[in-house]
Amino acid sequence: MSGPPEPEEFDPGLARERTRLAWTRTAVAFAAVGAAVLKTRLVAGLIVLALAAVVWGLRHLFRDTFLGPGPGDDPDAGRHPERLLGITATVVAVAAVALVIAFLGHSPVTRP
Amino acid sequence: MPAEQRPQPAPASDAEPDARYTFANERTFLAWTRTALAFIVAGLGIVQLLPPFPGVPWGRHLLGVPLIVLGAVIAVVGYVQMIGNQRALRRREPLRRSSLPVILAASITALAVVTGVVLLLSATSRA
Repeated sequence: MSGPPEPEEFDPGLARERTRLAWTRTAVAFAAVGAAVLKTRLVAGLIVLALAAVVWGLRHLFRDTFLGPGPGDDPDAGRHPERLLGITATVVAVAAVALVIAFLGHSPVTRP
Repeated sequence: MPAEQRPQPAPASDAEPDARYTFANERTFLAWTRTALAFIVAGLGIVQLLPPFPGVPWGRHLLGVPLIVLGAVIAVVGYVQMIGNQRALRRREPLRRSSLPVILAASITALAVVTGVVLLLSATSRA
């Protein structure tokens, strides 16, 4: 890259803020699925909603991206993209719950 | 399609990319995650909220179950892609072309065709 360094190369504040917003949108997406599951499976729906709250909390727990260190951090810190595997595993688990609901229908608790 | 790199320790040129690229990679992963969740909620909605198609009693499952499965697939492929992208960023290598747009286009087209067939069958059924 040529030219003088831009301020954002040292402090990607805008990128960090956009990433936090992306995490918030992702938490909302989890909550939408939780609400849909809640319609037929009370316990599973509450669990998914709780997971949405965890995803939302994650954006506060971690200063910077999961994928790399932030300014001032230990250079080896944060090089753990595999930590995001938990998010993917959660989505796959939610898909499994959705399949169970699709094939088994309403649970006795919520049956009208 | 570039050849697979043989396994080796991180090369000397392995370096932390500009944080903005890392953040962009993370946002891309989250965007695909949200797409996966949208597929899942769509599949669940079709099975749970739609009335049965007359003449095609398994119609809702035919549409909804693949959507849910596709949601899981998109989530996994999005994660694998994110890991590969981060590795390429660190090594200053070109990023691989994403396979997800093709997967999305093909699956949505196929589901649209199946939906059309189900609708035609139920419209012409004598149930």
